[in-house]
Amino acid sequence: MGASAPAPAVELTGITKKYGAVVACGDVDLTLHRGRIHGILGENGAGKSTLMKILIGLVLPDSGTIAVDGKRCTIHDPIDAARLGIGMVHQHFSLIDALTVWENVALGDAGRLDPQAVRSRIGEISDQYGLGIEPDARVGDLTAGLRQRVEIIKCLRRDPSIVVFDEPTSVLTPDESLQLFAALRHVVAAENRAVVLVSHKLDEVLASTDEITIMRQGRVVDRRPTAGTAARQLATAMVGREVSLRAERAALGVIAVDDVAHDETAEHEVDDSVAPALSIRDATVIGAGGVRLLDQLDLDVRPGEIVGVAGVEGNGQRALGDLLSSLVRLQSGTVMAGGQQVAAGRSGAMSRAGIAVIPEDRHDSGCVLDMTVAENLVLVNQRRVARRGVIDQAALNEFALRMIADFGIQCSGPDAPMWSLSGGNQQRVVLARELSDQPTVLVAAQPTRGLDVGAIEYMTERLRAAAQAGVAVLLISSELEEIIDIATRVVVIHRGRIVGEMAHHELDLERLGLLMGGAAA
Amino acid sequence: MTDMPETSVSASPVATNVARGTRITEWLTLYSLSVLAALVLSAMLVETTGGSWRPVLSALIDGSVRAPGRWGETLGAATPLLLVALGTVISAKAGLVNIGQEGQLLIGSAMATYLGFLVGGSGAFSVIVVLLAGALGGALWAGIAGVLKYWRGVPEVLSTLLLVTIAGQAVAFGLRYDWLLLAPQANRGNRNQVSDQVAEGNRVPRVTVFGNEFPIAVFIAVALAVFVAWALARTVWGFRLRMLGRNPRAAQRAGVSQTRYGSMALLLSGAFAGFAGAAMLAGGGFAFGNYRLVPGFSANIGWTGLLVALVAREKALVAIPVAFVFAGLRTGSGFVGSTGVEGRITDVIQGLLVLALLIPPAVIFIRDRRRARSATTART
Ligand SMILES: Nc1ncnc2c1ncn2[C@@H]1O[C@H](COP(=O)(O)OP(=O)(O)OP(=O)(O)O)[C@@H](O)[C@H]1O
Ligand SMILES: [Mg+2]
Repeated sequence: MGASAPAPAVELTGITKKYGAVVACGDVDLTLHRGRIHGILGENGAGKSTLMKILIGLVLPDSGTIAVDGKRCTIHDPIDAARLGIGMVHQHFSLIDALTVWENVALGDAGRLDPQAVRSRIGEISDQYGLGIEPDARVGDLTAGLRQRVEIIKCLRRDPSIVVFDEPTSVLTPDESLQLFAALRHVVAAENRAVVLVSHKLDEVLASTDEITIMRQGRVVDRRPTAGTAARQLATAMVGREVSLRAERAALGVIAVDDVAHDETAEHEVDDSVAPALSIRDATVIGAGGVRLLDQLDLDVRPGEIVGVAGVEGNGQRALGDLLSSLVRLQSGTVMAGGQQVAAGRSGAMSRAGIAVIPEDRHDSGCVLDMTVAENLVLVNQRRVARRGVIDQAALNEFALRMIADFGIQCSGPDAPMWSLSGGNQQRVVLARELSDQPTVLVAAQPTRGLDVGAIEYMTERLRAAAQAGVAVLLISSELEEIIDIATRVVVIHRGRIVGEMAHHELDLERLGLLMGGAAA
Repeated sequence: MTDMPETSVSASPVATNVARGTRITEWLTLYSLSVLAALVLSAMLVETTGGSWRPVLSALIDGSVRAPGRWGETLGAATPLLLVALGTVISAKAGLVNIGQEGQLLIGSAMATYLGFLVGGSGAFSVIVVLLAGALGGALWAGIAGVLKYWRGVPEVLSTLLLVTIAGQAVAFGLRYDWLLLAPQANRGNRNQVSDQVAEGNRVPRVTVFGNEFPIAVFIAVALAVFVAWALARTVWGFRLRMLGRNPRAAQRAGVSQTRYGSMALLLSGAFAGFAGAAMLAGGGFAFGNYRLVPGFSANIGWTGLLVALVAREKALVAIPVAFVFAGLRTGSGFVGSTGVEGRITDVIQGLLVLALLIPPAVIFIRDRRRARSATTART
């Protein structure tokens, strides 16, 4: 920031963007320097994505100026941005399942297609950043973590000198993101790039950035160098109150796992003799191409239990979630809920049997982006707001307003289209709906993905409270620490099978690690 | 079409990035420009084919609304267009692409002819029987596509289209045998394939307002449009249908059976087309034969109705004025012939207008798309 230093890579001044009454960004200033990584923190709906979209030309600001390398400019669309060397990795995926990695990466290219060049470029980037991506893999077969890396490659391939990451690591494991940022740090320094990182993971931001901007309700509330800052200060500045960082740190995978063994979770052990609310026996699911996604999986969840499913991503977690969402058929085996057999794969059968699901990808089966927030809140159960087949608009509105208040959903109102909500707020809508239906079984797959620290704390509380109230909770998470923090019992999934199980009080991290890696216990 | 900007927001998944006010102006400008372009092109076309545009335009207006009795005629033509469009809106909301309305309409009118004679009688009851017979025929025809889709996985785009051709042949076949559709010897003016006239008692009553005569089916169609709009927006059934169309996986989880709701939508959409056919048959009016079924009876009403739904962008209420405009082009074309210009020029004008009305949403969509690169990324 010295006076003689070259002009900053990007200088946003007085950026304002309003959506109706919602101020997504209000008079925001942001300066990015070459050779540095700039972290942006903020609650769900604080305006982070909007600010980034302004920089990339997806959103035009109502007022404010943008200067790139000291020159004033207007960015009308991502093509302008690309011309200025700005690239972005988005919060939600934009990949096409049916295509391969390299096809997805080449999508949108102008001119003649050179598959070989694209493939080898993917290989290069993949090696450089330690991403481990196979150019010929079909995107539909990849886990969320791998898809995220494809998105990253899509962006980096164009060699942007200013790179925007919007929650790139929400689906990566801590190790993976460490690796990514180590590589990033290296190129930032070596090639003089400027990087912005939007993230909810405080420790990641602390570990990898040089300076931090904190936003709240569309405004910048704090700006500080990273050095000498503690996570707690950041959390407080973000939320405007003290939060329990324990839950958050557990969910984000940074807690020292050995000090969790003696918390309130352990006290809440469930009697083994109680009949399970959910009982999966011998379940086999065959995916496209004959792959065994689930392989004779056995799993019981009793009322009041929180069963954590631990495992390396891509070992059948998605299929398990899909099975309990009535999205896949069973090749063999049974699913029983409340003592009754449920017809797997028949539409709505699982939800009728009292199984609520927070799906791993909210855009896949969790919401309908083109419907309103109110409609999304009654997606599964319209009966509560309908009389003789007709939706009572007043009742719907009232219900939606109540949920919006209860779950702190930030939106312009019940009639806001779902797509206009920020990622974390969409997640809250899903959570609100699934919890409001008084399920007997609650399946939560990566429930804290994209949530801010305050919301993670809240989500954790809700899951615990649900279990306390007698709901059988199945927590599927790739964050081991999150599972250890709230699960009363942990099972390990490997290649579509449950390969091991341990109660909370007998947790053995070493054994857990071995099981996850596929070593026979 | 005043709520077009509204439509754009809900129909385009892409986050809009222009303030609402600017957006409305933008839409209005785009629409005016493209309609103007279509009119100028039409005028040029008229001029190059040896006519001059003023009298043609004047004849068009005369033929559709200005001359005595003409707007009644136009209302009569708009009725089946609107009915077909309503069915199309229903199937489109469920995410289905039914493009076989022309065939469903034809089978509907054939069924109305056949059952009408079978049941006979007169009075309100038998009129209703005739109309419902049409709906039944259309539903059956669309039902074939439904069975193919949900049992064999044949895409409905293909099957409904192919069924149009088969419908034409089936009706031509029926019109060859007097135990099917062909009129008995004595009543036949010539030996062509025509059915008997719908019996007096089975016809849809016509009313006269300010010298304009039209079948009361007009009121039924408008009432149905209001009903469909309401049902889609306000009933649990409509809610679930929209869910199925917008996100089939979310729908599957929530208990909206693709097979059940999808085939229901397809059947209903066929029923509307068939109902339109029956209304044409039993409603009279200049364009639709003389209460007789003839080969080619459907007279492109199915295709045009499809266009109406397309231009109305899946909004049942918007389809009402759009159907009237398209019907006006149809009824107006008869008068255009008197100016020395081929009457079929209105088909070209209609095509240009359809393009003109479809281009603005497409332009906006593509531009948003370009800005967004892909719909999903722009959503948060
Ligand atoms: N296209 C839009 N129309 C209306 N409101 C919008 C639109 N886009 C964003 N908003 C609103 O602007 C606010 C900021 O959204 P933004 O996506 O920038 O939040 P965020 O900081 O990225 O949150 P998260 O951490 O949840 O991703 C939200 O309240 C959101 O509802
Ligand atoms: Mg965001």
